[in-house]
Amino acid sequence: MSEEKRFHSESSSAERTFPRRRKPDFDPRHAITYFHPMEEREADQAPLKWDLIRRILLYTNPHSIKRNRLMVLVVVRGFLIPAIAWMIGATIDGPIAHKDLPGIYRYAIGFFCLVFFTSSLFHFRQRYALELGENVAHDMRTQLFAKLMSMPMSYFNKTKFGRIISRMTSDIESVRVAVQDVAFVVMVQTLQMVICAILMAYHNWKLFSVMLLLAPLIWIVNDRYRKEATHKLRMVQESWSRLTSTLAESVNGIRVTQAFVRHEINADFFSRLLDVHAENNLGAARASAVFVPLLQMKSQLFLGSMALLGGYGALHWTGTLHMDVGDLVMFFFLANLFFDPIQVIGNQYNLALTAMAGAERFFRLTDLKPEWADAPDARPIPRIDGTVAFENIQFEYETGRPVLSDISFSVKPGQTVALVGHTGSGKTTIAALIQKFYLPTGGKILIDGNDLHQITGDSLHKQTGSVQQNNYLFSGTVLDNIRFARPSATREEVQDVINKLDCADMFQNLSSGIDTVVGEKSASLSHGQRQLVCFARAMLADPRILVLDEATSAIDTATEARLQTALEKLLQGRTSFVVAHRLSTIRKADLVLVLDHGRIVERGNHEALLAQNGLYAKLYEEFMGATTLA
Amino acid sequence: MVEPHPKAHPAVRYSTTDLVKRLLGIAWQFRMDCLLSLGLNIVVLLLSLIGLQLLGLVIDVIRHGLDPSRLPPQFPLGWNPPVEWTALHTVVILSLSIMVQAVIRAFVTYCYNMATARLTQGAIVPDLRNRLYAKLQRLSFRFFEVNGSSSIFNRLTGDVQNTRLFVDGVLLQGLNMLVTLITYFIFMWHIYPPLTLACLSVVIPLAFVTHYFSGRLRPGYLRNRELSDELVAGFSESILGIQTIKSFGAEPDRIRAFEQGNDNVTAQQQKIFWDLSVYTPLTQVLSQCSLVILFAYGGWLHVQGKIALGGGLFVFAGLLQQFTAQVVNTSTIANSVQQSLTAARRVFEVLDTPLEVDTSPDAIEVPPLRGQVSFESVTFGYDPSLPVLFDISFSVQPGQVVGVFGMTGSGKTTLLSLIPRFYDTQKGRILMDGMDLKTFELDEFRRQVGIVYQESFLFSNTVSANIAFGSPHASHDQIMAAAKAASAHEFILELPKGYDTVLGESGVDLSGGQRQRLALARALLLQPPILILDDPTASVDAKTEHEIISALRKAMSGRTAFVASNRLSLLRRADVILVLENGRLTKTGPHDKIVHEPGVYRDAALLQIVDLTLDEGGLG
Repeated sequence: MSEEKRFHSESSSAERTFPRRRKPDFDPRHAITYFHPMEEREADQAPLKWDLIRRILLYTNPHSIKRNRLMVLVVVRGFLIPAIAWMIGATIDGPIAHKDLPGIYRYAIGFFCLVFFTSSLFHFRQRYALELGENVAHDMRTQLFAKLMSMPMSYFNKTKFGRIISRMTSDIESVRVAVQDVAFVVMVQTLQMVICAILMAYHNWKLFSVMLLLAPLIWIVNDRYRKEATHKLRMVQESWSRLTSTLAESVNGIRVTQAFVRHEINADFFSRLLDVHAENNLGAARASAVFVPLLQMKSQLFLGSMALLGGYGALHWTGTLHMDVGDLVMFFFLANLFFDPIQVIGNQYNLALTAMAGAERFFRLTDLKPEWADAPDARPIPRIDGTVAFENIQFEYETGRPVLSDISFSVKPGQTVALVGHTGSGKTTIAALIQKFYLPTGGKILIDGNDLHQITGDSLHKQTGSVQQNNYLFSGTVLDNIRFARPSATREEVQDVINKLDCADMFQNLSSGIDTVVGEKSASLSHGQRQLVCFARAMLADPRILVLDEATSAIDTATEARLQTALEKLLQGRTSFVVAHRLSTIRKADLVLVLDHGRIVERGNHEALLAQNGLYAKLYEEFMGATTLA
Repeated sequence: MVEPHPKAHPAVRYSTTDLVKRLLGIAWQFRMDCLLSLGLNIVVLLLSLIGLQLLGLVIDVIRHGLDPSRLPPQFPLGWNPPVEWTALHTVVILSLSIMVQAVIRAFVTYCYNMATARLTQGAIVPDLRNRLYAKLQRLSFRFFEVNGSSSIFNRLTGDVQNTRLFVDGVLLQGLNMLVTLITYFIFMWHIYPPLTLACLSVVIPLAFVTHYFSGRLRPGYLRNRELSDELVAGFSESILGIQTIKSFGAEPDRIRAFEQGNDNVTAQQQKIFWDLSVYTPLTQVLSQCSLVILFAYGGWLHVQGKIALGGGLFVFAGLLQQFTAQVVNTSTIANSVQQSLTAARRVFEVLDTPLEVDTSPDAIEVPPLRGQVSFESVTFGYDPSLPVLFDISFSVQPGQVVGVFGMTGSGKTTLLSLIPRFYDTQKGRILMDGMDLKTFELDEFRRQVGIVYQESFLFSNTVSANIAFGSPHASHDQIMAAAKAASAHEFILELPKGYDTVLGESGVDLSGGQRQRLALARALLLQPPILILDDPTASVDAKTEHEIISALRKAMSGRTAFVASNRLSLLRRADVILVLENGRLTKTGPHDKIVHEPGVYRDAALLQIVDLTLDEGGLG
């Protein structure tokens, strides 16, 4: 998580200046969730960095034709928009004011052509931009996913799930907006502003210079508004995230709430959260309710002062100060095109900052160097026989905190090794090392005499398989899940595997047999059925080396007996490592390794270990104490 | 609690008229705020018309002042400036009026924005959320199982917002639009009727195009949402199941599948992009067409001397822009109608779900219970036509420990959930100290029943807040005493911040055994005379089970305790064991008695005994 931590220390000062006085209002005992202040959250914006912009632009290179056409379209549009406004003014001030009827018709037709042409171009301007944005987002998603799949397990253990998901969703989305909008909109608006300025200055430089005085004022108002609004919106987000996390826990913990009769306290607490949230929402609304009319007012005030000046200029002043009434009409249509970009560009700037933060996080992930990789000269391993040897293995997840020390053992092909020990004794770590999820910090792991480090991870994983404690199933049917490791397997092959495990009947009472759909929560399957799917999945993959973390969940005795038989079938003919919880598995293992604080303290088979009367015998007694009838 | 598979509650049917009526009811509830918002918006509208009219007049006054042969300005409402005013005077007065108008309008706009925000985010949304949440807290578990947590979550978040959209996005916006269009129309008509009709003829094709495209785009957007959701769901699964993927070397398959989904998302959007890029320019051309008509026809009229340049043509141009913008707006309102009705249905469904279990009006206060419990011919099913428990009768003396044994699906959990009255029986009754449960004040009664579930849910809060969940005002000593009674005190002290350690997703993870001991402490804090343990050792391994079993035994002594399990280690010391088979009570008696009688209990015992004697043989 070091990458995330570094990020927080840079988070904007706005976070720190939040009023803290509201916090004590909530008695933590009445609260449903603990209140995590904003420091936990990721920054929304980051300053513009040329380096990041360049990298984002690189993603448009594969679509350079579209991008370059867009550039041209945008420039043309920057000229056309002021042209339309000018044309309106020119028509009213020109032929209409001069009562030139043929001129009126000519101008009207000309105006229509101009509008038609501009709109036709806009079709391409809009479509190309949307397509370019989507293309870039598409490529980024592909890259992100491939990168994630190549990351070692340690990354996933250290990174919060929510953070990874927001790379995929909000961060890529913010970059998309930047690509499809920011650059092009800013170009159009800037050009539009410049052209309007030139046109207005050309028509009446006096009025124009008065108008220019207003520009910095608008910028300041707009800037203040953005800061104020951003700050208020952050407060809204804060109270919102508190509201949603409370809601989520209230729903998930409903049984506890009702059992402990907390509904009134909870409802009261929730209602106070709603008050705070409403207050924050109104604060944010107030920010925009003040500034938006203020910005509107400026254009009205401007028109008023123009009318005043124009009136004096036309009716009263002579000489250099004299003005033409037509200029007033012209300015009416051009002035907004000059002022609006200030606001629009301000907003785009905001979006750009958001995109910077998103891009920064995205690139930080894609740039991340895996903690380790296959040795440069690693070779694929041919079919594995199944001899596995650990030679003086040391391992630590964090430096200075060894998890495994001096682990040595050797297993012959087809043997079953049971790993036994207290929680935290290192059983699961040994299982992970065999599958090359981590590299040992010292010593060697040999598979058929080859150093694991010299074997490519891919070729190894094609010949390993695992059944984990949490029985993770992917959405799809039972069938899909069983052929997870070998999607090409036929239905018959799957049936065959189920028959081999001698448990076809356990799937038959599912609503659609093996075509039953399982969801993320797999509510439709019982614990036993889920475990069986995992067994079948591993069986179909037919790995040479199998790693099994036995489930601890209580399944009724009848099912447990069935699973036991299936398990024995699964273990046959392959080298297996079992993090064992069931006595029957331990008893049948060829080798039992008893672990304590990362060391092998005892080894041998069940009978031999009992005879030693050491830690294993003690564990065994504890186990028996929990199950004996005596 | 995986046992019950309740049938979906018969969905409440709402007709569109019902929904609209109730939504109007919400608007009526906040009628003053609605009226205020509406009124302020009309003031803003009038002010902007005044501003435009004044500007047009200025132009005409100047033009007339320069060349008196031109059309004189036509002042509205029959008002004319005093004769002693020069043209310059009039221009100055008019310009200043424009500025004053600008200031007033800014102020009124602010008031309007705030009134609307207060109505929606300050009143309607919190009110609905409050009602929903309070209701949710009391609904039966069945509702949560049928609907799923994410659906319930969405009802309180997005659906509430979309429901209130009916008030501001449909009702108020619709009325505003109506008033605006009518006012503009009258204003234009007042200037020159035929010109109004000519210019507004564009509105018909414009409205048609808008509705055609919004209807065409909607399914595309929906499909797009689906595809992106699928893509994100697949992405999440790959992260959550990464260990499985890696151990089978399935990364290439997953990458291929992801790229396929990714390509689908992009390909599907092409059509949306095309439609959108036809729609926008088309509306632009159409709305500008009204200007073309204005120039040609209006120009001709001006040449004929029928309308003024400023107060006529110029004002007309300004009004037309607004008018067409409002027409395009109608499709937004039409979409909001659909959106708000769908959401409202989901919100009202929660509010209207009847409370299955509630305190009866003539309930009595609950005396401190002794813990005598009897079931009298209790029959119960989540779906009344499919009973899960049949005709259960038994009686338990205060202080007895009752073991409940049965295979998965035999009704253990269901039986236990009837005791705290989470559901009401369909037939028969349950007596507590000789009184029917239904006569008790529900909350008071439940406070005297402590429960530990199979998989204990702990809140993402501190350890002490979790233990004190049922009694937030408990003192630290009481909390500590409960923790000690549950054998949790020692491990709590070893946590980074002791009792103040935050648990949960962004806090400390506890082992299964630790979680169960905290759950036990939470139940013991209330010192309940009745304790229910629903398979408390199911999700802990055998070794951990050993750790907590003595804590459980200690907790059960001195109170009436029900413990469901199929582990004999927990059951064998019970005073009485109830054996359930397919919802029927088949055996009752202490372990020593029923273990010798043929049946499921004996079978299970034998399975475990065989296991043990074999080992003991090995030992010997």
